[in-house]
Formats: sequence, structure tokens, C-alpha cells
Amino acid sequence: MDLLIQESKSDMKYIFQNHFLSKASQAALLFLFALLFSSIAIPFISSYEQDIYGAVHFEIAGRSPSLSHWFGTDSAGRDVFTITIRAGYSSLKVAFGVVFFSVLIGVPIGMLSGVSGKKIDGIIMRITDGFLAFPPLLLPLAITAVLGPSLNNIIFGISISWFPWYVRIARSQALVISSLDYVSISKSMGASKLHIIKNHILPNSINPLLIQGSIDAGYAILTAAGLSFLGLGAQHPEVEWGLLITQSRAQFINQWWEVFFPGVFIILTVCSFNILGDELRNSTIKKS
Amino acid sequence: MYRYLLNKLTQMVLIVFVVSSITFFVIRLFPGDPVHLWVGGHPTEEQIERATKELGLNKSMYIQYISFLKNLVSLDLGVSIRTKQPVKLELANRFFATFELVFFSMILAFIIGFPLGLLAALKSNTLLDTFIRGIGYIGLAIPIFWLGMMMQLLFFGTLQWFPLQGRYAGVSSLDAQLIYTTGFLLFDSLLSGEWRLFFDGIWHIILPASTMAFGVLGIILRTTRSAMVDSMNEPFFQTYISYGFNNVETIRCSAYKNTLIPVSTIAGLTFGLMLGGTFLVESIFDWPGLGQFSVLSILTNDFPAIIGVTILYTITYVIVNFSIDIFYGFVDPRIKK
Repeated sequence: MDLLIQESKSDMKYIFQNHFLSKASQAALLFLFALLFSSIAIPFISSYEQDIYGAVHFEIAGRSPSLSHWFGTDSAGRDVFTITIRAGYSSLKVAFGVVFFSVLIGVPIGMLSGVSGKKIDGIIMRITDGFLAFPPLLLPLAITAVLGPSLNNIIFGISISWFPWYVRIARSQALVISSLDYVSISKSMGASKLHIIKNHILPNSINPLLIQGSIDAGYAILTAAGLSFLGLGAQHPEVEWGLLITQSRAQFINQWWEVFFPGVFIILTVCSFNILGDELRNSTIKKS
Repeated sequence: MYRYLLNKLTQMVLIVFVVSSITFFVIRLFPGDPVHLWVGGHPTEEQIERATKELGLNKSMYIQYISFLKNLVSLDLGVSIRTKQPVKLELANRFFATFELVFFSMILAFIIGFPLGLLAALKSNTLLDTFIRGIGYIGLAIPIFWLGMMMQLLFFGTLQWFPLQGRYAGVSSLDAQLIYTTGFLLFDSLLSGEWRLFFDGIWHIILPASTMAFGVLGIILRTTRSAMVDSMNEPFFQTYISYGFNNVETIRCSAYKNTLIPVSTIAGLTFGLMLGGTFLVESIFDWPGLGQFSVLSILTNDFPAIIGVTILYTITYVIVNFSIDIFYGFVDPRIKK
């Protein structure tokens, strides 16, 4: 057992060693950290910090990008640069929230399903199949709609519709690991299901979960932005990229900068998460 | 083969059942008040009571679930709370607008994505390959509603090549005599020889369809490329090369077939992504389809309509994936057994 945990630790080490070789993933990590820090720090740095809390300055509304307003101002006179950077915080919150809750709900169910008998396993798998049969975006849309629009409900709605992916990963890991000889021996010596899950299956599942998590983080941001765009997510005066874009729908043909910059930030962030996910997956494949 | 089909069919029915149940419970267990929507503003106690009875909300959840399933089997989706029209009617009116858009986008996405993916594989590790893969990478990360607005900005705002939104211009449909009325505008107008309406429809569908197509282009490109690269590394490919055929000939005559299985798997996923995309794209381009209807129903908590839309979307998705499964049998006879 100790051997296995050690093994999974050196696994991580391998990934991180390889990880920092790639220029693309270095840039991706740098971008994500820069976004995180600047979105936290921007209320203290920017000279337009009231704009984050919904300040209105109609006298400077709809200005195009200039030296004093790098990304221009929107129809309420808010500095688009300041609110775009600040909105990064909401999106990162969604990304981590969704992955965290999906793992929290999905992994225990999946592992239980993997070590349980055929009957329970069958029922759990049919229910997850049902969740996965929904076209993407439809279920989070319905759940968030029923719960009422807010950023936290979006996180909950997306997690409820995505946790079955983690059930599947955790279950397949559980099936593979619990069929290994040393686990059978451990079982025959009277080890409980909980013991097997905690000591054998969990340490071996971290890799695939990490890969899925970093890819899902990007998609969570995209989905959340879409829901906010439809008016189901963050509410004014909160700032979120999808919300900023939908708020500028009436005048974007003449004031492109209000829509363009938040969108570019979505693309950069999602790309960064995807690059990290690909890198993790490739280094795992290379090793095996 | 029959057993294979029967097996798949049973699975499909089961999935539809589970999906409808999940929809029912998600919508009824979470808070939300359909009664107030039904009776409108400032209702009396009496009105509320009557509405509760009419909607069957006074019975226990279990009884409601049973009657929901009964109605579902008899294809009765109830009455929309918002529009007071039968949900079935509302859905039927919009179904064709949405699927015209989705199928047009699918065709567009594969016409562009599949050859580009093959090209990237053929020229792998060149500048062209990197460029194509770069497009694919951005395609995976691009928010589709943002892309739609950027398209409007460029092609309507700046260049004025395409209309901003809508399915056709009012003028072109005025004197159009449609002999066929399937609901697919392009199909009907083409068959009826109404060229003005047909080209107007094409002109209107191009922007929303390219938006949806670009949203899935990345997945198609990636899958095609990696499947082709895999098959180019196989011995049979080298054999053809050593016979004196070049890469292009080998791919055109034989090797492309190896990409059909992964690519058709992706077609199912792509279709699902596009269904999800309709919510956003239809609301940007004011397309009179299911997506826009769902968003309105969802924002007003119109639960019969939400259930109806969800089930219709999911059944379509399941049927498409089912057809793809059957298609596998034709592409790869080993699967049929």
C-alpha cells in the first residue's frame, strides 16, 4: 500500500517535471495566475474602482479605447478594462467551483458503484447514462432556471449536470484497481470497501481526475458565460464576461469594444485551461 | 443484425424514460411557482386554488409523476403556461426552423472540417498543419454567442454583406406560393421554384449557420486529423506507398474510410453541441426556433413547455446517436457481427 502511494507521488513529480518543459503550458499557467492576481488586486489598483460595484458616469459613456480607458467605456460610462479584469474572478470561481462540486458528488458515487455488486452498479450507471443523454447546455440551463438566476446557482446547475462524467471515471478506476491481485488479497484478509476505496483506489485516481478537471474548468467557464449571456447567471452590478457581453447587445454594432474584449478574455482563459489539460494528458500517455 | 437493432432500441427507450424522469424531478423538486404564472398578476385566493387544481399541483408528487408518465406515453405534453397554447403545437411550429439551421450548420461544418482535417494530416508538422490546428484550438475555446456578435459586427455592421437577423425578409415571402409545406423553408421554396424566397433564406441562414459550424469545427478538425495520422502510420498505408501510389491517391481511394468511425462518433457529439448552441445563436440572430422558445419558457418558469422542449431535444439527440450506431454497422461490418 505504501508502495502504491509512493508510486502515485512520483507520478505527480513526473508530470510536473514534464509540465514545465512546454512553453505553451508555461504561458497558460502564467496567464491564469496573472488573471487571478489582477482580478483580486484590480479594486485597489484601478482608478475606476467604483465601476466594479456598478457606478454610473453617463458623461463619459460609449468612449472608444484610449490611453485613459484602455478598452473604452460602456454605455454606463464604466471602464471596460477594469470590469473585464474583475470579471475574471467570477469566471475562475465558476471554473474551480464546478470542478470541485462535480468531483465531490461524482467520485464517491463512482467508487461506490465500482466496488458494489452488479445490481447497485447497474442502477447507478443507468441513472448516469440518463444525465449524459441530455444535449450539452440543456440541463444546466433548466436547473439554473428553476433555481433562479445567480452565479452560485450556475455553479450548482453545471455541477449537477456534469458530475456523471466523474462517476464514470471514478468507477472505471475502481473496477481496474479492485481487480488487481493485491487488492483481492487485501479483500480476502477482511478489508472493508471503505478501506479499499481510501487506500487503494483513491490514490490511483488522482491523475485521470486531474486531467478531466483541467479540461472541464475551461468548458465550465464557456457554459457559465453562455448562461450569463441568457440572463441566468451573475446579475448586475456583479460583473461576469457573459453578462458584460449581453449588457452591450443593444449598441455593440457601434461600440464593438464593449463586446470584443470580454470575449477575447474568455477565449484566452479557456485556451489556457485546455492547454494545461492536454499537457497533463500527453505526459500521462507518454509515461505509460 | 436484428438483435443488434432491438438491443439499441430498448436502450433508447430506457434512456428516454430516465431522461424524462430526471427532467420532471429536477423541475418539480427545486423551488419555483408555476401557479402565479398561470393566474397572472394580483390573483384572488380562489383563483390560486383553482389553478393549483387545474395544474394538478395539489396532488402528491408520486401521483403527479404517474400522470406525467401517462401523458408522455400518449404524447400529451400539456398546455404552455405562458402562451396558453398546447405545448405540442408550439413545438411543432418551431421544430423545423431549428432543425433547418442545425442540419445546414452540420453540413457546413463537415464540408469545411473534414477536408481540412485530412489536409492537416497530409501535411502534418508543417506550417499549414500548425495553422489549421491553431484554428481548431481556438474553435474549442470560442464562446459561440460572442462569435455570432462578431460576425454581425463584421458582415452586417462593416461590410453589409448579410442581414443582421431573422429567417427571411418579409417582402420576399409575400407573393411566394409554396406548393410543399414541410416546414423546412429552404426545402419548400426550392421545390416550389420560389427562387427569390430560397435565395433570401440562404442569405439569412449563412451567418447563424457559420457561427454554429465554427463552434464545432475544432472538434471535427482534431478528430479527423488524428484518425488520419493514425491510419497513415499503419502498414497497409506504407504498402500502398511502396506500390507507387502517392499519399493523396491512397487517402482518396482507401485510407479515408478509417476515419469514418471516429468522425461519425464525433458527428453525434457535434449534433448535441449544436442543439445546445441553438439557445444562444437563435437568440442572437432572432431565429424563430426551439432555442428561443426554450429560453423564454425557462425565464418565465413555464414548466410544461420546459419539460416538452427538454424531452424533444433529448429524443432528437438520442435518435441521431442511434442512427449513427446503425451507420457504424455499414461502415465497419465487424460491428454488426
